[in-house]
Amino acid sequence: MTTVLPSLASGLASVALAASDAVVSPADPRLVQVALVISVLLFVIGLIGFLTRRNMIMMFLCTELMLQAACIAFVTFGRMHMNASGQVFVIFILTVAAAEAALALGLVVLLYRKRETLSSEAWAELKE
Amino acid sequence: MPFPSLTPYALYIAGAIGAIGLYLLIRPGPVNVRRAGTLIGLAGVGLLVSEAIHIVDASVGGPAGGIPLIPCILGFIAVAGATRMVTHPKPVFAALYFILVVVSSAGLFLSMQAEFMAFALIIVYAGAILITYMFVLMLAQQSPSESPGDIEGATHYDRVPREPLAAIAVGFLLLATLGTTIFGSRVAPIGDAANAAVARATVERWRELESLPRRLDAEIALVRPGAVAAPDENGRVLAIARDGSASVRIQWDDNGTVRTDAIPLPASAAPTNIQTVGLALVKQFPASLELASVILLMAMFGAVVLARKQIELGEDERREAAGLRRLSLDDAEPIGRGDATASKAAPVGGRS
Amino acid sequence: MTHLATLFPSLPSALAGDGDAHGTAHRAAEGAAAAATWIGGATAHPEYSWAGWILLLPLLSAVFCFLCGAFRVKNKLPALVTIAALGSAFGLVLTLYLKYDPTHASGPMTVHLFDWIRVVWGEKPGQSFVADWSLYIDGLTLFWMLFVTGLGTLIAIFASEYMESDVGGNYCRFFGAVGIFLFAMGSLVMGGNLALLYLGWEGVGVASYLLIGYYYGKPTAVAAAKKAFVMNRVGDLGLLVGIYLTWRHFGSIDYATIFKACSETIANGSHGGDWTKGLIPYFLMLGAFGKSAQIPLFTWLPDAMEGPTPVSALIHAATMVTAGVYLIARLYPLFLLHPHALHTVAWIGGLTAFLAATIGMMQYDMKRVFAYSTVSQLGYMFLGLGVGTTFGACYHVFTHAFFKALLFLASGAVMHGFAGQLDIRKISGLRNVPGFKIVAWTMLIGCLWLSALPFTAAFFSKDTILLVAMTDESHGNRILAWLGLLTALMTAYYTFRVWFRVCGGETAYQPGDEAHGHDDHGHDADHGHGHGHSHGHAADAHGFHPHAPRFAINGVLLLLAVGAILAGLPGLIEFLKMGPNWAAEMIAASSATIGVPNLTEGLAGGHAEHAHHATVLGMDGHTAMFLLSTVAGFGGIAIAAYYHLVRRRAAETLKQALLANPLIGWLPRALENKWYVDELYDALFRYPIVVFGGHVLAWIDRYILDGGIINGIARIPAWIGRLFQPLYNGLLQGYAITMVGGIGLILAWIVYVWMKGGI
Repeated sequence: MTTVLPSLASGLASVALAASDAVVSPADPRLVQVALVISVLLFVIGLIGFLTRRNMIMMFLCTELMLQAACIAFVTFGRMHMNASGQVFVIFILTVAAAEAALALGLVVLLYRKRETLSSEAWAELKE
Repeated sequence: MPFPSLTPYALYIAGAIGAIGLYLLIRPGPVNVRRAGTLIGLAGVGLLVSEAIHIVDASVGGPAGGIPLIPCILGFIAVAGATRMVTHPKPVFAALYFILVVVSSAGLFLSMQAEFMAFALIIVYAGAILITYMFVLMLAQQSPSESPGDIEGATHYDRVPREPLAAIAVGFLLLATLGTTIFGSRVAPIGDAANAAVARATVERWRELESLPRRLDAEIALVRPGAVAAPDENGRVLAIARDGSASVRIQWDDNGTVRTDAIPLPASAAPTNIQTVGLALVKQFPASLELASVILLMAMFGAVVLARKQIELGEDERREAAGLRRLSLDDAEPIGRGDATASKAAPVGGRS
Repeated sequence: MTHLATLFPSLPSALAGDGDAHGTAHRAAEGAAAAATWIGGATAHPEYSWAGWILLLPLLSAVFCFLCGAFRVKNKLPALVTIAALGSAFGLVLTLYLKYDPTHASGPMTVHLFDWIRVVWGEKPGQSFVADWSLYIDGLTLFWMLFVTGLGTLIAIFASEYMESDVGGNYCRFFGAVGIFLFAMGSLVMGGNLALLYLGWEGVGVASYLLIGYYYGKPTAVAAAKKAFVMNRVGDLGLLVGIYLTWRHFGSIDYATIFKACSETIANGSHGGDWTKGLIPYFLMLGAFGKSAQIPLFTWLPDAMEGPTPVSALIHAATMVTAGVYLIARLYPLFLLHPHALHTVAWIGGLTAFLAATIGMMQYDMKRVFAYSTVSQLGYMFLGLGVGTTFGACYHVFTHAFFKALLFLASGAVMHGFAGQLDIRKISGLRNVPGFKIVAWTMLIGCLWLSALPFTAAFFSKDTILLVAMTDESHGNRILAWLGLLTALMTAYYTFRVWFRVCGGETAYQPGDEAHGHDDHGHDADHGHGHGHSHGHAADAHGFHPHAPRFAINGVLLLLAVGAILAGLPGLIEFLKMGPNWAAEMIAASSATIGVPNLTEGLAGGHAEHAHHATVLGMDGHTAMFLLSTVAGFGGIAIAAYYHLVRRRAAETLKQALLANPLIGWLPRALENKWYVDELYDALFRYPIVVFGGHVLAWIDRYILDGGIINGIARIPAWIGRLFQPLYNGLLQGYAITMVGGIGLILAWIVYVWMKGGI
C-alpha cells in the first residue's frame, strides 16, 4: 500500500489540467505502453465483435469501437512524440466516423426496409 | 516491480487467456460460465498490462516511473465495457456500454494531456454518433415479441454469435502480431533522450506562439500595455532560454523615443492544447482538413439520398409536380373509351 | 591413293600424276590433269561482277510480275518482261562463256558480290561461318547455266502463248514463280558456297511448289504440290546435315576452300576427322535423291505433272530435277570421302532407271509417261555419276534437257489443242490433224532422241555412261550396265508407244475435260474455233475443233528440236574423231573432275590407245555399245510399232492374256499401279503417322495433356475451393474473417521478418 498510494496521487496529478509549470512535460513510458496495449485490446475486441455479431447495427458499432482504439493509439503516439499531429488525426477519425455513421446507418435502414430484419445473414447474395 | 515478471512468451499466454475468457463470455451460456469467463478475461488483460509495464522497465533498465494507476483503471473499464458491448445481446445496452468505453478513453486522453480531444470525443461520439445509433436502433429494431426464439428480450441473431471460435482465433492472431510490434518497438524516450526531446518540443511549442500574434499581444499587454512585439534581425520575436523559459522582444513608443526590451513569459503563456491542435490542423494538414470537410459534405448528401423515402410516382403525379396539366381526362371522358381509361387510371388513383 | 584404287580398279588414275603414262597429248586430258592441280586455287575476278545480273534479272522480273498482279494487269506484259529478263540473263551467260577459257590456267573464277553471313568467333579455321554472295564460275557452272537460262527463255516464250487463257492475276503469278525459279536455280548453280546452293535449293523447291499447285482449285494439284514439297523436305534435311558436316570437317562451306582441302586429302591419302566425315556424301546424296526424284524419293515427280506443262518441261524435266546431278558433280570430291558412296549412287541410279521405265511402259497419261521417263533418265545420270563418268552424266543432263523439254512442250501443245486431253488412247493420228504437223514431227525427233538411237544426242551421252559402267568390273557395275541396256529397250518402247498412239494411225480424237486446269481455256474469243461449246461434253467429239498451236508454240518446238539435234554435235564430233568433245572440256574444267579418272575415258574414248581395257563381249567397247544400243533402241521401237501402230488390238489382247495368267498377271497390274510404291509409302509412313498422330497423340493430348495435366492443374484450385467452400457462404462476416485472417497472417509474417532484423 505504501507504494500504491503515492502512485495513485501522481496519477491523479497527471490528470489534473495544466498542473505542471513546465511548458512540455515528458511522456511516461509506462503510461504510453499501457495505453497502446489497451488500444490494441479495444481494437481486437471490436474486430471480434464485428466478426461475431449478426446485427448490422452492432457490426457498425463495433467498427466504431475499432476507430476508438485507433484514436487512443494516435493520441498515445502524439503524446509520446509530444506534438499535436496525433490529435489532429483523431479529428479526422471523428470526421470519418461521423460520415460513416450517417451513411452506414442510412444504408442499414434501407436494408431493414427491404427484409424487415437487421440480421446480416438475410443478405447472402455475395455467394452467387 | 509491482507484478511478477513473465517469460518472453507472456504476450501469447496472456492473449490466449484473454481469448479463452472472451470465448466463454461471447457464447450464450450459464451465468457461472460467463462469470468464469469474465474472471479469466480480466486475468488475461491484467497479465497483458503488467507484461507491458514489465517490458518497459526491462528496456529502460529499471522502474520507468510510477504505476499509471488511473490510466490502468480507465483502460480496464474501457476493455470491460468493450467486451460487454460485444457480448451483450441487446443493441441498446451495447450502445450504452460503448458510451462507457468512450468516456473511459476520454479519461485516458486526459491523462495524456489531450484535453480537447477528450471532450471532443465525448461530444461527438457519445453525444452525436451514439445518438444516431440509438435512433436507428429504435427505427429498425424488431420488437422482441415478433421473434419466436426470444430469450431475455433479445432477438435470435443478436443472441447467438456467429463463428466465435474463428473470429477469436483471428483476433488472437492480430493481437499477438500487434502486441509483438508494440512490445518490440522502442518505448517513449527516457532520461537524457527524454530531456532532449522535451527541450526540442518546448522550443517548438514556444515557436508556435509566434504564429499566434493575438495571444502574444495579449501576453505583452499584461506586462506593458501599448507595446508591440519586435522581431530581431532573424525575424524572431521570442528568445528561448536553455531551461525552457522564453522571453519576448518588445518595443514601445516612450514619448517619441522607441524603446525595446525583452520580457520573460510565464509557462501559462505557452499555447494551450486546443491552440496547438488547431494550429497543427491548419498549418500542417490544411489539405486533409479540406478533404475532411468534403467527406462530411458527401456523407450528408449520401445520408439525404439514402434516407429519402422512395415513392413511386405515376405519370400524372410527376406532371403535376412539375406544374403541368394531367394527362388523364377525368372531367371529359370520351364515350367508348371509358373502360380502358378507367382501368388504366385506377391504379394511379389507388396510389394517390 | 589406295582409296582411289579401290574405287576405280580398272582404270589408271589421272590423279596419280602419271597421266602422261597414257601417252595422250590430248588437250582436254591435259586440262583435266591441270584441273586436278588448280582446283581449289580459285582466282577472284571482280571485273565479272556484272554476272550478278544473271541472278538479279529473273528476280526483278518476278518482282515486276507480282507488281503486275497487284495492279491487275490484264495483258501479256508479265510474259514479255519475263522473256526479256530471261533472254538477257541467257545473253549474259553466253557473254560469260565466251569470255571464259575452259583451259584457263588460273582455274575457276570467283566473283564476290556482297557480304552476306559472317559469323566469326575465333581465329582458328573452324571458328567462323562465312557465306557471302559470291559466284563460282567454272566449266560446270557455265555448262549448266547455258541450258538453264536458254531453256528458261524458250519455255517462257512457249508459256506466253500456252498460258494465255489465264491472262490476269494467274498469268502474273505464273511468270512471277518462273522468275523466282530462275533466280533460285541461278543461285544454286552459280553460288560460290553451300549456303547459296542451299538457298537456291530451297528456292527452286518453293518455285516448284508454287507452280505444281498453280491450279490451286484442283485438289489433286494441291496434293501433288504438298507431296513434292514434303518429299523434298526429306532430301533437303539430308542436304542440310551434309552441309553442316562439311562445315564441321572443313571449317568452311566455300567451294574453293573445300576443294582445296579435298584435293590435299586425295593427294596425300590422309583421312583426318572422325567417322562422321564418311557420312557427308550419304547425306548430300539424300538431298540429291530428293530433288532429282530417285529411289526412294521419286514418287513426287510423276504427281508434279499436275502443274502447267511449261513448268513440267522447265522445272520437272530439264532443270530443277537435275540439281541433284549438279550437286553430286559439283561436290564430287566430297563423294570420294567414303569408298561406297559412289557405288550407292550408281546402284540407286541404275535401279531407279529400270524401275521408272517399267512403270512408264504401262501409263496412259502422256505426261506421266514422260515424267517416269524423266525419272528413268535421271537414274542414268546418277548411274553415270556413280560409275565415275561425271562427263557422261552432265552431258546426258544437257542432251536430256533439250529433248525432254521438247517432248513435254509437244505434249503440252497437244493438251492445249485438245482441251486438256492427255490419254494416249483417246488421241490418234495427230500427224494428219491440220496445224499439228510441227507438233507431231518435232515430237518424233524428241522420241528418237529419247530412245537414244544411234547418232542422236542421247546416244552419245547415255552410251558414255553405259560404256563406262560396262567396262568397270567392280561392284556389279556391269550388271547395272546390262540393266541400263534393258532400260534403253524399254525406253524406246514406251517412247514410241506414245508417239505411235498419238501421232500414228487413223485420225481420231476426243477432247479432254479440261481436267488439267485451264478453267476458262477454250472460251478465249481470240481463237474463233468455238470449241468452247464442247465444254461439259468431253465424250462428245462432235463439234470439237482442236485449236492448233500458233507461232510461239511452234517456234519454240522447232527451236528445241534444233537444240536437241545440236546437243548431239559434240558427241558426233568426238565420235567422228574430228575433235574433242565440247561438253567434256567444260566438265573437265570444273570440280567434277577431282578424283575422276574416268573423265579421260569419256574424253578420249574415240582413241584407240584407250580401247585396250574397254572390251565388251570380246569386241571393242565402243563398237559393242554401238551395236547393243542400236539393237535395244530399234528393238523397242519395233515392239512399239507392232503393238501400237500395226496391230493395236494385239496390245489389248496381250494385256488381257497377261492379266488372265495367274502366274504373271500381277506384273502388269503392279506396273500400272506404279509398283504400289505410293501405297507402300502410305502403309509405311503415312498411315503410321496418321494413326500415331491422329489417334495415339490425340489420345495423349486429350487424356494426358488436356485431361491429366491441364485439366488436372485446373482441378486443383477447384478441389481446394471445395475444401474452403464453407467459408464462402455469401455472408459478409465469412469474407471478413477470411480477409482479416489474411491481413493478420501477412502482418505476422512482416513482423516476424522485422523482428529477425530482416528489415
